[in-house]
Amino acid sequence: MSRQSLLAVFALVLLSLLGLAVGNYTTYLLNLAMIAVIAAVGLNLLTGNSGQISLCHSSFMAIGAYVSSLLGARYGLPFWASIPIAAAVAALIGGLLGFPARRLHGIYLALATLGFLQIVQIVIEEFADVTGGVRGLSVPKPVWFSALEIAPYHLYLIVAATAVFAVWTATNILASSYGREMNAVRLSPHAAQALGVAVARVKLAAFALSAAYAGVAGGLMAMVVGFIDPIEFGVGAALRQITYIVVGGMGSVAGSVIGAAVLSGLPEVLRPVREYSDLIYTLILLGFLLFMPNGLVVVWDHLRRAAWRAIDRARAR
Amino acid sequence: MTDRLRLEGVTVRFGGLVAARDVSLAVAPGEIRGLIGPNGAGKTTLINAITGAVLVASGRVLLDGHPISGHASHQIGRRGVGRTFQHVEPFNEMTVIDNVLVGVGRRGRVPFWRAALETPAARRNEREAIAFATETLDAFGLLPYRNTRASDLPFGLLKRMDLARALAARPMLLLMDEPTSGMSESEADTAIATARELAGQRGITLLVVEHNMRVMMALADRITVMQFGAVVAEGTPTEIQRNPTVIDAYLGEEATDAGR
Amino acid sequence: MTVTLAFQLAIAGISVGSIYALVALAIVIPFKASGVLNFGQGEMVTAGAYIALVLTTLALPYPVVVLLVVLVGGLGGMLIERALIRPIIRAPEFTVVIATFAIGLLIKYAIQLRFGDSPAALDGPFGMDPLMFAGLRFNPTSVWIFVAMLLVTLAVMAFFKYARLGKAMRAVSINAEAARLMGIRVDSVWRWAWAISTAIGAFAGLLVAPVIGVNPEIGTLILRGLVAAVIGGFTSVPGAIVGGLAVGLIETFSGVLVSSTFKNLVPFIILMLLLVFRPYGLFGVADAKRV
Repeated sequence: MSRQSLLAVFALVLLSLLGLAVGNYTTYLLNLAMIAVIAAVGLNLLTGNSGQISLCHSSFMAIGAYVSSLLGARYGLPFWASIPIAAAVAALIGGLLGFPARRLHGIYLALATLGFLQIVQIVIEEFADVTGGVRGLSVPKPVWFSALEIAPYHLYLIVAATAVFAVWTATNILASSYGREMNAVRLSPHAAQALGVAVARVKLAAFALSAAYAGVAGGLMAMVVGFIDPIEFGVGAALRQITYIVVGGMGSVAGSVIGAAVLSGLPEVLRPVREYSDLIYTLILLGFLLFMPNGLVVVWDHLRRAAWRAIDRARAR
Repeated sequence: MTDRLRLEGVTVRFGGLVAARDVSLAVAPGEIRGLIGPNGAGKTTLINAITGAVLVASGRVLLDGHPISGHASHQIGRRGVGRTFQHVEPFNEMTVIDNVLVGVGRRGRVPFWRAALETPAARRNEREAIAFATETLDAFGLLPYRNTRASDLPFGLLKRMDLARALAARPMLLLMDEPTSGMSESEADTAIATARELAGQRGITLLVVEHNMRVMMALADRITVMQFGAVVAEGTPTEIQRNPTVIDAYLGEEATDAGR
Repeated sequence: MTVTLAFQLAIAGISVGSIYALVALAIVIPFKASGVLNFGQGEMVTAGAYIALVLTTLALPYPVVVLLVVLVGGLGGMLIERALIRPIIRAPEFTVVIATFAIGLLIKYAIQLRFGDSPAALDGPFGMDPLMFAGLRFNPTSVWIFVAMLLVTLAVMAFFKYARLGKAMRAVSINAEAARLMGIRVDSVWRWAWAISTAIGAFAGLLVAPVIGVNPEIGTLILRGLVAAVIGGFTSVPGAIVGGLAVGLIETFSGVLVSSTFKNLVPFIILMLLLVFRPYGLFGVADAKRV
């Protein structure tokens, strides 16, 4: 078994035990954090690795949330069918966006994704009889089969397993030739092209792939929260996603995990000053952009290397 | 025998500026062709046109008799056209071995889902790729640097990495843009020897843009001379050295003054 | 659609389009000078509206309010440029885009904290009684907006053509390194470009406040301003103006001819189409590269 797989199993076991030890409210918070991790991992693959600015990542979460919830509410599909389908729909739409977007970069790409975000927001608001519009959409209770409800701890396990799977696949992708191509496209598209990398296709695929992760995250979020509020998918949310990967570390899966895990707990910590929470998030983002653009993962790497050195020294004695 | 590379009346335009004008040349398989000319003569433009990085406004580029002009740049790369860069263009944050692995690319490529799930097939494929990349690094004396970030390498080593990376893609035609720029005399000599070996033993056809005349004369089988976007002369190194048009193009009025 | 209705819609479209044009202008000027696209420009407009609100409650005469709004807007822009933009001007595009976005949001959140979410009303300088001309009804504020936009545009064009700083700005936008070698203080030029742009943005806020009310969401205007700027190719002043007016007219007419949903979607559909087919706008210049 490879090192990654071993770590994945270990993480899953750890999370399962953690879930047993804490109460329902903490479980809920952990669920939200893990969902944030899934979305952040997807965004980092697109922006941190493939170098594509995207201001509409939250829109794909919206697509995942609405599609999977509607499939459940209208056709009775259980989550293990509706969420993969929703993710596929998100990926398809991501690919559709990626198709024209692959020739754009910099501000033009930022604008295109911003435009897409607005279009999705407007569609959500205007087709209110389907989406519930601005007032949001109630989501039926999550079930295994027709009426068999899922217990809170089992829901937690589902989210944890999905999060671990997301992190594991992303790590594998980045360690493969696909991941190298993504980074090559970001670092020097000209050289990549000359070496036979289909730059445009990689960009398109990156959009579809990140949308799939976001779609899964969205579907899970709808299940966990029980309600879809479109404000969760607006510009503020998109910027929050970007904050996760900037703070955590762009281009690294560990960075996505750190950023999302640390920052998604912030609203709880900021409860006493919740009117300031938006402001604080934005200040954190600016602070990291200006002073620590490589993210917290740098600290994590230092700690990891120091730990290995300590282990080596202990072994030598 | 079909030419490995053939340009027929290739013209490249940037807006109103004609960077290459009606360029025709033919390179035989296994030949080492030099491409010289003063700055701005259109040499790098020509290389970019062959690799598909810029559009060919008129004319054709043929590889082994098959037209490649107008094809997507990455497809031309996969067909066997490789290039090295004047300014290296490394994948900066990536390690040396990862740089070369991009060159190794998709050989024996596993489908995406296998890579994502780290199946045994994917792992095997990765091991083979790494083995090939390691061999290539060793051949260029870069093995000690395999895990060094490209951004930490000095220029000379970067140039070697650039070449290793391009060769990892196993091209049949390699376009080299000023390969010895920034090198010392002895480094340049090693580069010449390496290039000869590439052409001789591996049968790779080379088109080399160079400013270093000593290297060019020692290396090239034939030389094409460009000036102001057009071909002004072509021949063996000896012929070119004696060609008055070439002397004129390079030295201009200085030569005529000195001659007086 | 009667001719009268068409004209009335055109008037409305031109009026709202003038605001978009000003926002587009405010975006294009620093972009041309320094290559930085200020995604937070919308919040400058919001800020301008709130500054106007505060000053009006102090019962200051309108011309004084205009002057102060422009000054505060310009100074604010200078401060932001010096403190936040200058350090990242050489950073990768991603950093700059997100940073300007974040700065804009900071301004918005600060305004929300100070003033709350509920909209406030601000009276226009010329009252509410419509003017009648040739059987058409003109809202005096709308007329003023259009006239003001024209004045600003002419001033800006004159500035770039005749003023020393304006000519320096043009030089910097063509080639900053060459300009520096010619002795132009590029840093200073950038700062002024930002100051002018935020001043114009704030002025636009002052103009638009009587029409749409003063609330923290005014900043969403920037989206239409961005579309207008794209139409103009980001590089031309007249292009931005034409773009703004075009967006305003298309939006207004489609609201009546198609539906209000469509009206909201229209700017973004235009944006996406332009970005796909003509990212350099109808007035810009394209590249020859192929990656």
